[in-house]
Amino acid sequence: MSMRKIVAATLVVGVALASTAVRAEDFVVGLSWNAMDNQLPVKWQEYLLSEAKAQGEAAGINFKWVINVADADPARQAANIEDLINQGVNLIIARAEDDAAIGASIRAADQAGIPFITFDRPSSTAKPTAHVGGDSYDQGKTTAEAFVELLKANGVKGECIELQGSLTDVNAMNRSKAWHEVTDASGVVKTLVSVPTEWNPELFRSGTVNALRANPQANCMFLGSDFALPAVQSALEGAGKWAPRGEANHVWIATQDVFPEAVAAIQSKYIDLGTTYDAYAHSKEAIRVAIQVAKGEGVDCPDNICLAKGRLATQENIGTLENLWSRAE
Amino acid sequence: MNHLKPLVGLPLVLVAILTFFSVMTSHFATAGNINAMLHAMAPLVIMSCGMALVVFSGKLDISIGSIAFLSATLAVLLINDHAVPPILAFLASLVAGIVLGALNGFIVVVLGVNALIATLGTMIALRGIALSLTGAVLIPLPTQVARLGNLTIGPLFADIVVLVLVVIAAHIVHRHTVFGRRLNAIGNGEDAARRIGLPVDRTVFASFVLSGFLAALGGIVALLQVGAISAYLGRGMEFTAVAVVVVGGISLFGGRGAILPGILLGAFIFEAIANGLNQMSANPYAYQLITGLIIFLAMYVDAMQHRRKAAVRTRR
Repeated sequence: MSMRKIVAATLVVGVALASTAVRAEDFVVGLSWNAMDNQLPVKWQEYLLSEAKAQGEAAGINFKWVINVADADPARQAANIEDLINQGVNLIIARAEDDAAIGASIRAADQAGIPFITFDRPSSTAKPTAHVGGDSYDQGKTTAEAFVELLKANGVKGECIELQGSLTDVNAMNRSKAWHEVTDASGVVKTLVSVPTEWNPELFRSGTVNALRANPQANCMFLGSDFALPAVQSALEGAGKWAPRGEANHVWIATQDVFPEAVAAIQSKYIDLGTTYDAYAHSKEAIRVAIQVAKGEGVDCPDNICLAKGRLATQENIGTLENLWSRAE
Repeated sequence: MNHLKPLVGLPLVLVAILTFFSVMTSHFATAGNINAMLHAMAPLVIMSCGMALVVFSGKLDISIGSIAFLSATLAVLLINDHAVPPILAFLASLVAGIVLGALNGFIVVVLGVNALIATLGTMIALRGIALSLTGAVLIPLPTQVARLGNLTIGPLFADIVVLVLVVIAAHIVHRHTVFGRRLNAIGNGEDAARRIGLPVDRTVFASFVLSGFLAALGGIVALLQVGAISAYLGRGMEFTAVAVVVVGGISLFGGRGAILPGILLGAFIFEAIANGLNQMSANPYAYQLITGLIIFLAMYVDAMQHRRKAAVRTRR
């Protein structure tokens, strides 16, 4: 064989190898939402897709998505995930409506050989390939500790109404648990009543109204999430208690998530503090884990649980927190 | 007074509930709390009145929650995205309710689809449209508009006045108009009503239109109370309204019962239970358990009365 032929053959093989290396593999992710009932899942999805593009390109993986929404119905979510399994997706990412019911779907995916990432809400009944989410216990604890310090500094004895989330949402329960662990022992904040809202804004409102009727001395609130803040605001306005800090009828409010309405309410001093739920960090981490799964590698998290902590947002720092998805720039 | 027969035990149940919570909590039996309860139940009562008009004819409209959601969504989008004055946006919302009610009436009367199936279909479809219009996210109303939800007339919330007007109007329509008597006649036997020449189709169609209108009105009241549109608006309201209708002594088989005081008492029982348990910080699942038991008892009484009535007819 002449040298020219050897060089030509080498070039052909090299080009072929190179083109194989840069051609991204398709990796189909089935994304199962329990509901798209507020801005957070919308932002999660936006960040998941953009991160999949960015991180996927770098890792040589071409993410494709099959997305469904269960409208807050655990049975429908199970059927949706069954559909994803039947379509033969490569990975399922699911935000559970019910932390117990999702276990059956995790086991079904496992039997079909499909890895499963629980997103935001872990399962209480089955162990998925990995869990990615926010550290909801830490979120509640950070808020409660800061709130106790704030009231102490202002010489206020807090008598609070707690608006819990859904009792089937482990994040809601973690936040409530952390709130009680910190405040019950504080000697500064006492929780008068815990109202379950099922994450329904109408119950946020009626729960606040009823709790204020039963406990007219209440001077503070803990919100399991502030996505339904307009409903709480409406109830407090009706009771003549929606007032900024510094006014006599101000109700001290500690909150979770820091949605856009809460950002505005913190800026205008109606809400005192809250801990963010970092949509961008969650999504970025989920895609990193998905890539590890696609490569057949470990996810590099303790016990395969990958949690991103939130950040404390106060009236002092709300304007300067970096990458705060809910703040209009 | 025959129309009050199914209500014999209801006031006693209500008195028992009110007494229990008055003893167990310190703020239940106060004027302020009763005002708050009437305020909270306004959307449900308004929508239940529409449901009752359909039920009198022996049919069901389980799309009222979705009609409320879609028509309220329309109002929010007109106000927020198109700067339409709120009053015009709410009028548009009411017109939307009428049109959607007419759609139900068309499917039931013209296409001949069973009312339950027809409104199940529109319940799902209309909610889907509203979810896609809102992106399924919570959209707040402008602050000045949201404040209307707490508007008071004297000591009463404004929506309590709306509630009273709607209940009285619906009661008059049912008890004192030809239309109302036709609804009862259809509910007591559609074939017989046709044979004696009653305009069955036109009457049923109109009942769905009225139901759509009242669903939209209830949706507006719920929207103003919360101060935002969310995917939860009206969800499950259709079944709560059915429960209110049944507990209020209106027969699901049609032709029997009365809006006043049936709907008011039925809704007040549910609101009193929710409010009282809330004030007691009771186990949140207790509400569902007690509500379920009351619905079961009401359904059982209704079924027994229907069976007895059928037996009397057979003997004749």
